Amino acid sequence: MKILIIEDEKGLSESISDYLTKEGFVCEVASNYWEAEEKVNLYYYECVVVDLMLPGGDGYDIVGMLKKIAVTTGIIIISARNALEDKIKGLELGSDDYLTKPFHLSELNARIKSLIRRRHFGGNTEITYHEIRVQTQSRKVFVQDEETPLSRKEYDLLLYFLSNVDVALTKSSIAEHLWGDNIDTVDSLDIVYSHIKNLRRKLLEKGSTDYIQSIYGIGYKFGTP
Amino acid sequence: MKLLTKASGIYLLFLLSLYLITALAFYWITRVVIYDEVESRLQVEKRDFEAYIQLHQAWSSSCYFVENKIEVVPVTYKEPITEMYKDTLIYNRYEDQDDPFRQITFYTKIGNADYKVSIRKSLIQTYKLIEVITFVMVTFLSLLLILMYWFQRRLSGNLWKPFYNTLSKIKQFDLTSVTPIDLKKEEVDEFDELNQVLKRMAEKMQHDYRSLKEFTENASHEIQTPLALINVRVEQLLQSSSLSQQQTYWIDEIYQASRRMSRLHQGLLLLTKIENHQFRDAEQVNLTELAKNKVLDFEEFLIMRQLTVDVDLKEPFLVNISPALADSLVNNLLSNAIKYSKPEGILRIFTHARQLCIYNSGEPLKNDPEKLFDRFKKDSDGSESLGLGLAIVKQICENYQLQLQYTYSYGMHCFCVSAPVSELS
Repeated sequence: MKILIIEDEKGLSESISDYLTKEGFVCEVASNYWEAEEKVNLYYYECVVVDLMLPGGDGYDIVGMLKKIAVTTGIIIISARNALEDKIKGLELGSDDYLTKPFHLSELNARIKSLIRRRHFGGNTEITYHEIRVQTQSRKVFVQDEETPLSRKEYDLLLYFLSNVDVALTKSSIAEHLWGDNIDTVDSLDIVYSHIKNLRRKLLEKGSTDYIQSIYGIGYKFGTP
Repeated sequence: MKLLTKASGIYLLFLLSLYLITALAFYWITRVVIYDEVESRLQVEKRDFEAYIQLHQAWSSSCYFVENKIEVVPVTYKEPITEMYKDTLIYNRYEDQDDPFRQITFYTKIGNADYKVSIRKSLIQTYKLIEVITFVMVTFLSLLLILMYWFQRRLSGNLWKPFYNTLSKIKQFDLTSVTPIDLKKEEVDEFDELNQVLKRMAEKMQHDYRSLKEFTENASHEIQTPLALINVRVEQLLQSSSLSQQQTYWIDEIYQASRRMSRLHQGLLLLTKIENHQFRDAEQVNLTELAKNKVLDFEEFLIMRQLTVDVDLKEPFLVNISPALADSLVNNLLSNAIKYSKPEGILRIFTHARQLCIYNSGEPLKNDPEKLFDRFKKDSDGSESLGLGLAIVKQICENYQLQLQYTYSYGMHCFCVSAPVSELS
């Protein structure tokens, strides 16, 4: 799975690249418009993460270009501009997602994975983690082949964990993943706690190992203890 | 009142008074001149009369044939005057009407007796003269007046035309557009100067608007990018397993602070953009529908706080507003109500055709309710809150002339957004 990261802020592209490499992606970085243009024209990528303001050009043009030459490539815009019109313009041009800076790496990772699932498997995929199996099309969760009914938010939470296995996830990243950033942090951390409690209970009831570990002062980590 | 109407009014008033004064003065002068003439004729006759008396020592009315011309009446009492002029009317037996006469009266001795002598002269001719002159005067003056008035109106209309052109151009002027205001060169120096000044001002305004817009866009990019960098680096740091509890705590503090700063910055940017009227995509938005969806979005929060939710969202409340701002408006009001409601309290939302009201139970405000909508004025010291939500709500309402009201009664805070007053009619 090849991913191109088009971002002029070196530290940022490096972080994204590091994070995604750990997740098993092959990452390439372009730090300006010309470089991006060249790479997009030469190679095929499963997914392209593109910043809107680039030295030498506009990220929108890259999106337009990709739509012409590589139809199946998933496109995620990352931008500091969070105006609705920018988002609409990006989506109209054919990008699949729009993430406003600053974002969580875990969020970007989850979105890339979800996008790849949608793009390449028509959304009809199964994610398996030991005894847990998730059918993304029907949004069904099985523990040891036994269906486990989850609420909408619990399902989203589980999927977020499964996209970021063995990664320390902050409470605010989870809250923002579940409710978007327009929801002010009113009680959101308590709600995250209560949702995690419920999810853990439901998984344990069906005989799953307790994969959700809480990390003191930070948040949670999903992984084999 | 229009400038031209006002100017014409003043001009007309001035012309009319001038006209009246001139007419009166003219009439009076003519009259004086004519009387003067008649009186000098009467003086001559008086001298003739006195010469005659001197010569004959007697007066017979027969010597003067024309009736009433000279009247001699014997008197015993003499009024204390030497001579006196007056106007009088004498009956004309041929024309069966009274004719105006000028009469000189004096006393004289004929023989030994005192007589009062009145000599009269007809004023018919002179009256006719005055009438004719007055008529001609009035006609010509009126004509002059009408012409002057008409000319003045035409002249001012033409003179002020550039001004009205400029005015209509300014009215059409769009601050946000890139096309400069189109003001032509004028012949009249003052108007040309006005146009030049306006042109410069308009250009400056457009330029400032653009640079402010660019600034907000750049500021957003320039500040959010380093914040994004801090954010991802902290996130990577948190993955490290060798952190002590103390270090984790510090890192989390940095992380929270950077996120808070980012949200704060976004909030301020949003406020600036609303203040600059940068949202120009107004359309009909149904706030009732929006509120309904928002309540669903906040569902978990409502459950968490164990709030009793009383929703009456049936009647659509249509507002012409930018959809993004409508979302922000309802979102902020609702999240504010949830944030400040006490656990197990009541949240009530209802709309009707012209109003959206959100109630929440809670303690009364500690601060002045006037300051509720100010930036960074928080009633509680919850550090989680940015203190921008209600300022944003207020600014959005101001932009769209929506009325925003806060009341507190029976333990309930209430925020109401009502349709603009202008739509009432």
